[in-house]
Amino acid sequence: MRDTPANIIVGVKWVPNTTVVNVDPVTGTLIREGVPSIINPHDLNAVELALRLREKYGGTITAMAMSPPAAKSGLEFLIGMGVDRGVLVTDRAFAAADTFATSYVLAKAIEKLFPVDVIIFGQETIDSSTSHIGAQVASWLDLPYIYYVTEAEILERARRVRVKRSLEKQTDVYELPMPCILVSLMKSNTPRAVRMSNKLRAKLEKPIEVWTNETLRLDSTRTGLRGSPTLVSRSIPTPSVPRKKRRFDGREDPAGAARWLLDNLTKEGIV
Amino acid sequence: MSEPVQQAPSWGPIRREECRGILVFAECLGGTVSEESLQLLTPAKMIAEKLQNEITVALFGHQISQLAREPFSYGADRVVLVDDPKLVTYCPNVYGSALVQLVRREKPELLLIAGTLRGREMAPYVANVLETGITADCTGFDVDETTKDVLQIRPPFGATMLAYIRTPKHRPQMATVRPNVFQLPLRDESRKGKVVAEKGIDIPQPSIEFVSSEEVMKDQVAIEKAQVVVSGGKGIGSRDGFGMVEQLASEFRGVVAGSRKAVDAGWLGHERQVGQTGKTIKPTLYVALGISGSAQHIFGIREARVVVAVNVDPNAPIFESADYGIVGDYRAIVPAIIDEVKRSKPRA
Repeated sequence: MRDTPANIIVGVKWVPNTTVVNVDPVTGTLIREGVPSIINPHDLNAVELALRLREKYGGTITAMAMSPPAAKSGLEFLIGMGVDRGVLVTDRAFAAADTFATSYVLAKAIEKLFPVDVIIFGQETIDSSTSHIGAQVASWLDLPYIYYVTEAEILERARRVRVKRSLEKQTDVYELPMPCILVSLMKSNTPRAVRMSNKLRAKLEKPIEVWTNETLRLDSTRTGLRGSPTLVSRSIPTPSVPRKKRRFDGREDPAGAARWLLDNLTKEGIV
Repeated sequence: MSEPVQQAPSWGPIRREECRGILVFAECLGGTVSEESLQLLTPAKMIAEKLQNEITVALFGHQISQLAREPFSYGADRVVLVDDPKLVTYCPNVYGSALVQLVRREKPELLLIAGTLRGREMAPYVANVLETGITADCTGFDVDETTKDVLQIRPPFGATMLAYIRTPKHRPQMATVRPNVFQLPLRDESRKGKVVAEKGIDIPQPSIEFVSSEEVMKDQVAIEKAQVVVSGGKGIGSRDGFGMVEQLASEFRGVVAGSRKAVDAGWLGHERQVGQTGKTIKPTLYVALGISGSAQHIFGIREARVVVAVNVDPNAPIFESADYGIVGDYRAIVPAIIDEVKRSKPRA
């Protein structure tokens, strides 16, 4: 019997799917035009963790993204993966935000879905890699949180979640009262494959809800660039470290290549 | 029906004019001050010199007074001890609220936190409660000449770019710092400073409960501490192929690591991944076998002294970031190198 159905929210981000992205040389912000995007891969592990919880305890999963309108297709993909509901939070007033202003909008949007039991985020995004959002949303909503979660179980009577989390050299077990925020470890809970037919059905049966600032009614000084305490003053291509770049073609002469390498490593004082 | 506009909470209570000095939060959970935290003294000293500021190191834990003098040897001017039994086990919001209170009392211009797993879990919470900005995983710092703001330098977009980030209005400025990008300052045991036991902090009862902890990796040299790292990528082709990577590593008395693709393929654990989503390492010798050399990977080996690359593809980008590149199949090259090392050993 499932007597602890959980209302789960998974926060996801729509990100450029290539690492070769361009930055506006004047504003120093990301130029999204012309770059194909995907749901942040590390967020799929978070969705998978949510799906496993729902399989065990029942309940519903809402995926939420604060992203440009094109993210709709990403949320449809997640519905194809098994998520029940997709909410796209999108408004020009939310654009160009740093993590502080982004987390504020997300927290306010999540609040509209309360009561909620568990909120899950991916560890970080491939475009900005900050790992900030989970902890920042926890601060706005004043909820307990824990990062690097690999497994979660709901302790039925106590309304608590018991999680395993993985730090470099140790595995820790923590218990959090619900509602709480879990940030899933980057490579845990390998996301399931999605059938194309599911994706198509999802599009027809569960349209994505779009929430703008008409819905949230947030003070515009708290969102977007204006609500961001940090600003990118400039961006430059990462300078390369000077290297000797010496080369030996060893395809015909592996032994010669090895001798050449060892001679050089000896000169470097390494062997 | 329209809902009322939500009231925005007021901006952080710490005013820019009130702030002075640099505060470094140091982890000391294992009975020592963590090396990653002490590395922060290197950028802190550089910034302190430019701003004519002093450096305070905050140590959190219980019965840690014996560690109090350690930060002075690395350049701290002042140490603040926050000693409480509730800090024996780590919970992010407990450590976080204690740090928030300390910052409200100390009012530093800049707060630095090591970008360890725990640091990156706690720091954004602290920043938000203080209603200030934070920059993640910084790899460099500078001071803006005009505004005297700290420029926080970090590599977004898969490490292809370096962004210079400023926090113009809010204080403190906050950053987590990528481990192993900065060297430890030279140790100087003659340096002294003032130790302050901070008693005015109300450590909250943890809302989350620490249940247990289990060590999962013993007796393994962490790749970020190794002098020689031999690393395999997609070109290794299989988990079995890593046998040869291991042989070469053991011949050089080094450790085995891998690229993201090798880790994603399940050939080795994430704790051995080199690169932006893995680790920054600083070995004397780095050997890249079958690794193409993406920007994210190269980012993790910037601090390596000598880089060797073996790749079948003469156009692989790794050769642009290597000191010694060998074009060839690792299956032929690695055994030849092992033979050559064995032959040269008796002479050594």
